Amino acid sequence: MECIVQGIIETQHVEALGILLQGLCGVQKEQLRIHELCLKSVPNLGSVSSEVKILCDLVPPETTWTVRHVGGSMRGAGADQISVLVRTMVESKASKNVLRFFYALGYKLDHELLRVGFAFHFHRGAQISVTVSSINKMLKLHATDDAVPVTPGMQLVEVTAPATSENYTEVVAAMSSFCEHLAPLLHLSKPGISTGVVPTAAAAAASLMSDGGGTTL
Amino acid sequence: MMEGVTQGQPQPPQLQQQPVPPQQPVVEALNPAVQQQLNLEHVKIRATSLFKAISRILEDFDAYARTNTTPKWQDILGQYSMVNLELFNIVEEITKVSKAFIVHPKNVNAENSTILPVMLSSKLLPEMETDDNSKKDQLLQGLQSLPVALQIEKLKTRINMVAAACESAEKVLSETRKAYGFGARQGPTITPTLDKAQAAKIQEQENLLRAAVNYGEGLRISGDQRQMALALPMHLADVLNVGPGMQNLVDTSGVYQKNTPIQTNTISAQNALLQATGAQLLARSAASPSAATSFDNTTASPLQYANSPRSGTNMNTPSPQQQSQQQQQQQQPQQQQQLLQPQQRAKMMPLSQHHPLLTQQQFRQSSMPGLGQTQLDDLTGQAQQKFQSLHGQSQLQQFSQALGNHQQFQGRQLASIGGQLGQGNLMSRHLGQFSGAANTALFNAAQTAQNTQMIPNMSATMPSQSLLPPRVQFGLSGTNPQRTHPSQLLNDQIFNMGGTNQTGMLPLQQQGGSQSAFGNMQQPNAQTFQANMVALQNNPQNHQTAFSQQRPQNQQ
Repeated sequence: MECIVQGIIETQHVEALGILLQGLCGVQKEQLRIHELCLKSVPNLGSVSSEVKILCDLVPPETTWTVRHVGGSMRGAGADQISVLVRTMVESKASKNVLRFFYALGYKLDHELLRVGFAFHFHRGAQISVTVSSINKMLKLHATDDAVPVTPGMQLVEVTAPATSENYTEVVAAMSSFCEHLAPLLHLSKPGISTGVVPTAAAAAASLMSDGGGTTL
Repeated sequence: MMEGVTQGQPQPPQLQQQPVPPQQPVVEALNPAVQQQLNLEHVKIRATSLFKAISRILEDFDAYARTNTTPKWQDILGQYSMVNLELFNIVEEITKVSKAFIVHPKNVNAENSTILPVMLSSKLLPEMETDDNSKKDQLLQGLQSLPVALQIEKLKTRINMVAAACESAEKVLSETRKAYGFGARQGPTITPTLDKAQAAKIQEQENLLRAAVNYGEGLRISGDQRQMALALPMHLADVLNVGPGMQNLVDTSGVYQKNTPIQTNTISAQNALLQATGAQLLARSAASPSAATSFDNTTASPLQYANSPRSGTNMNTPSPQQQSQQQQQQQQPQQQQQLLQPQQRAKMMPLSQHHPLLTQQQFRQSSMPGLGQTQLDDLTGQAQQKFQSLHGQSQLQQFSQALGNHQQFQGRQLASIGGQLGQGNLMSRHLGQFSGAANTALFNAAQTAQNTQMIPNMSATMPSQSLLPPRVQFGLSGTNPQRTHPSQLLNDQIFNMGGTNQTGMLPLQQQGGSQSAFGNMQQPNAQTFQANMVALQNNPQNHQTAFSQQRPQNQQ
């Protein structure tokens, strides 16, 4: 299971957000460059069609592959009260022929995208990961080098934390409190719910980027 | 309670009554009246007795502790109460008169217990004193010479300066807070608003982005646009094969078709088709597992695989495919083919290039006859269909390159052929690597034999064809991996051919002189075959005669 919230931020403020996150998290930012391939099963493979994501991490010298399946999210009155989306998720590292394997199983490529940005992984009540990335699409199949952003002026911010069914309330609380720290710059919400930009974003970004402007004593 | 009993040196209030000799230390005695009332001697006696009582009790406790017995609490409590009472009486008596000379703190608790000794003492502890002095010096640097009033003035101005600096700092902080609207306590005072158009644009962008990430909208490429980029990125290059035959690996949205027409002079095409058919052949062969397994009971031939530790060759000997790659500039990695073939026996056939005369070791009677028919018949048909379309002139040119290569001739190819006899597609490659007319002969023999065997119909391919694309996967099941020796392998094939369909050999003879010789060579021995091969190589014209001699020898 994982808890996830998403937000958007204008590209011009991304650097400021990086500075803010650096201060909040206390860890170094890590580069992010992930090629996501979303595979869908053909209709006659199972009773329902399923979707699997293959993530290829292009950053380290050796590319690592991950298989990810995202399931349904928690529903109900309790879920509506939580400001964070809690959903089942299964993830595993895989060898590099995982794509071939899924093709052999009968999955077909539905879409692919490339995430380029940075990420912070830290522990604050829960193991939280924050990624700020621009989502790029590829005009030609698998042409990751020629990817163009889907929305050039806007980037996606995702805050995720793994959880189990026993401890998800604490994880949700930790994530919510962390997200409040980002309030001046962006609003985070459940995936699928749009938030708009925050009016104080520009001012907050300016203050983060400037060197204070104070006079020396 | 702290007992402030001093032993008689307090400041007497009536100082003038005693003489104060200047040289001698001042001896101060108590007021006689106080003295009488206090009766110091008496107090001393009582104090010592009390001390003794307490020490007795402590000794008792010690004894208890040492002997590990439980003390009799009744007795001890009684003793303690007596001691307590005595102490109380003493203190009471002293307090009556102690106001004159004793400072007796009334309220000692945790807060002031540490500082009380310092407060009561008339002089600081030495280290505290030095500390104090150093701080004082620091503060009054340069001022100690001046009179005290001036010192006070200067210190005052210093304090004022520091206060002013703090104030201005506070002011600046609050101003900047206001300006940026960042103050936590007051909240943003300036809230820039977006105009409607901008907000709408942003909303639209946001929806695009969220839809793209969560649902993949806007990222799907329609089928006809799904042309794979010519240069796959690094991480995908070795995962996905590029090639027309690799339909299983790529999203089959219709772009990639099976058995796409061969592009001439492209090894990949041949490769692909060979592999595709190989896959099919494999599938077929897998259908008869019992037959397939019989292929495996081979003797241990060290040269089974090109680069396996069991092979006697160097580990890094490039396989035939690689070597031919150097000739053909094949770009596909070998692993691709290996990965393609699902069967485990898909391994590159060994190069017996370094062991041209493996014959002795590796010659075996074929176990294939039993195998051959059922399995191979099925495959043959398919192979025939496929390969006839495949092998065009392009192969001819390619194979011609290998003609001059004696080594190859001796080395591997028959081995490969034999091993791969179950797989028609491989025959062409193996045979192709033979040089000279023997090449032709073997090749054609293999080809014609496909009528009954799995040998592909190589009749279309000219004998002088050069090496097949190096990527051909040999690992189809059903092959006897031990048949590395060329003659041995060919023998197997020929055994099969002989065993199953003698007539299959006949067409060979019609193809040419050398071929006919080959056709006669129906069941030769390995050694004899090799001799024949040599004979073939050296003297193509004599095939017929040489082989014809062989015929009666190895009827099986």
